Amino acid sequence: MEATNNDSMNRSNAGTTDYDVLVIGAGIAGEESALKLADMGFKVLLIEKEPSIGGKMILLSKVFPTLDCAACITTPKVSETARHPNITILTLAEAESIVKEENNLFSVTFKKHPRYVVENDCTGCQECETVCPMVVKDQFQFNLVARKAIYIPFNIANPRVALIDIENCTLCGACEQKCPSNCIDFTQKEELVNIKVKSVIVATGFKLFDPISIERYGYGRYKNVITSMQMERELAPTRPFNSVLRPSDGKVPDKIAYIFCTGSRDHTVGNPICSQVCCMYSTKQAQLLMGALPMADISLYYINIRAFGKGFNEFYMQAKDMGANYVKGKIGSISEKENGNLILRYEDIVTGKVTEKEHDLVVLSVGLLANHEITKVFKNEKLELDALKYIKQPDLLQSPATTSIKGVFVAGTATSPMDIPDTIMSAGAAASETSGYLNQWS
Amino acid sequence: MATINPEFGKELKKYGAFDFNACYNCGTCTSVCSLSTEENSFPREMVRCSAVGDEDAIKESLKPWLCYYCGECTTSCPREAKPGELMMSLRRYLTAAYDWTGLSGLLYKSLPVSIIAFISVAIGVIWYSASQQFEVEKIMHIGHYFEMFAIAGVFAVILLPNLIRMWYFVILKPKVKVPFKSYITSLGELFVHMFTQKRSLGCDDNQVRWFEHFILVIGYLSLLFTTVFLDWFSATNLLVIILGYVESAIIFIVTVDFVSGRIKKNKEVSKNSQPSDWFFVIWLLLMGLTAFLVRLFIDLKILEYNFWMYLFHWIVLAQWALLIVPFGKWTHFLYRSFAMYMEKLKA
Repeated sequence: MEATNNDSMNRSNAGTTDYDVLVIGAGIAGEESALKLADMGFKVLLIEKEPSIGGKMILLSKVFPTLDCAACITTPKVSETARHPNITILTLAEAESIVKEENNLFSVTFKKHPRYVVENDCTGCQECETVCPMVVKDQFQFNLVARKAIYIPFNIANPRVALIDIENCTLCGACEQKCPSNCIDFTQKEELVNIKVKSVIVATGFKLFDPISIERYGYGRYKNVITSMQMERELAPTRPFNSVLRPSDGKVPDKIAYIFCTGSRDHTVGNPICSQVCCMYSTKQAQLLMGALPMADISLYYINIRAFGKGFNEFYMQAKDMGANYVKGKIGSISEKENGNLILRYEDIVTGKVTEKEHDLVVLSVGLLANHEITKVFKNEKLELDALKYIKQPDLLQSPATTSIKGVFVAGTATSPMDIPDTIMSAGAAASETSGYLNQWS
Repeated sequence: MATINPEFGKELKKYGAFDFNACYNCGTCTSVCSLSTEENSFPREMVRCSAVGDEDAIKESLKPWLCYYCGECTTSCPREAKPGELMMSLRRYLTAAYDWTGLSGLLYKSLPVSIIAFISVAIGVIWYSASQQFEVEKIMHIGHYFEMFAIAGVFAVILLPNLIRMWYFVILKPKVKVPFKSYITSLGELFVHMFTQKRSLGCDDNQVRWFEHFILVIGYLSLLFTTVFLDWFSATNLLVIILGYVESAIIFIVTVDFVSGRIKKNKEVSKNSQPSDWFFVIWLLLMGLTAFLVRLFIDLKILEYNFWMYLFHWIVLAQWALLIVPFGKWTHFLYRSFAMYMEKLKA
């Protein structure tokens, strides 16, 4: 272990020994690669910028095409990752710089953001939340509800430990007085940690498309236009309302519309490619909604249905058989009525006629975008991107996890949009390629 | 059974810039169009017809004329297929298809041919003036008669037969049954749209474009009336003289704005200019400008020594009357209003 020469920040060691692999991002791809490598006996450091590991999958309701509960699939994996003797997890940690040295080691500096809660002492009792006076939007419930400034990210977070959102904290100290285990520590500071690793796996995932840029859909203006991720939360076992409600008045919706390809296959928003998951997750949500709200009509407005994976087409047919109304035609514009209902205008491609339909809740099936900020971290060798800003795979067919830097591998949606089964496979490929690389090393 | 012309796409591309093969039929263009209705949904249908080469369906359709090009479809198109520009190109194509002489298509598709035609007319005017020894009064007298005969001739020989061809494509060939009474009762629709273009008010962009266009049309038609029937250049009535000044100034001012819009390309409608669009606005501008100057020269009593001014005006006028009016963009004045008329007949 070596500390950086930067004196302005506190320094600390992030473990006892050097690591074989640094995995950046603890979503399902990062966890899977870390687990596979740890099982092979490699020492893995897994860093995550969010306060909990689990990525986006841990926030989902169920997964297609099996309708398994996402949390039930992912939490055992999360726990396994967290308890594995060969894996060290650091949350609230962001890679700052990665320099490849002449001896082929990577010198990695990362920033460890303060939690203001001593992680090992916090019992997750949530007493602090009861006294905190600050109420802010809950980003893990996609702003459907609020949380406190001191909070546990979500019920099934791992580590299930509180943190203080210092930007929204008034430093009133109420939590400090209430905390039964005295674990609140306002003196924590940002730390810079420097370590050396033999290889790196980039598993930084994707960003969700923000539909506010498509003004015609009125997202952000019309209360009853929500994103598919918000609907995902409304359907999840840890859902905020314990029912499916529309935001404007809390009414149970009975005419729900899905707008496919919101922010995908669309040059006007700069994302011309298919996001690969929206057809299927919308179909999944439609099935869940038909279960949760048996009287509701679900209409899904699509351009083309892409049900290409194993069991996907059957899953799509199942939704149709259950009564989901698939309509070919992309929504052009949405207008809001006084009662909060929405009028959708589209061309019904089957009849070729402009048509208007009223719905009381609209779900935008938002697409996936590349999350390419990690490339800035690589200082002396360039981590190249492809035309759509995903991490470039120079040898896609023979060695899909290889990147433009030898010793740096890539897993999951950092390479392109993909669903969970593909992500797991991609993460497995990254783990096996990394182990091959590490075995050559000695 | 529709007959497909596989070469149609290639032919159509000569009339404008667009990419119908990019279209994946999502219908965004149709649904964002504020003029598109359940009875008349476009432009995707037209994109489809163009892509498959269904020439008859396009000739039969009035939809290209029902679009007033706000450009909303083009800016919203997720495939950058430019459906608005396709509609514009279809209007050019239809203008050529209606024209029995075939000259319209020739001029639209080839810039060199257009330039040669414009130069030939100019040479003709100069040659004729030379043969009259450039005598101002005589030539101005003849110029006045030329205007009258050009209008009557172009209408009788070119435009009327073309309108009949349009009627044939739209009503007769597809065997649309129209009771004779409708031809009379629908006439109101024809004149309302001819003089107000009120349908374009339904466009989303703004009302300014409609207003500019409206005063341009009124200015143009009244200047035509003032010069031809009130004989502006020989008029002594102060009212007539001032009226002509105002009208030509209006034409000049509005067209300057149109030309600068096409140069700046700040609106979707002015982004894709074909030679025919440039000829139309610039010649309209020159007509306003030169007519204004000719009358000014007359009032300043300097025209006799500056005969070139009138000659220039006459060249512009002749090119306008012999090329742009019968074969160029001017025809949209007729086809758009007759399209509204025939739409009413079909209903």
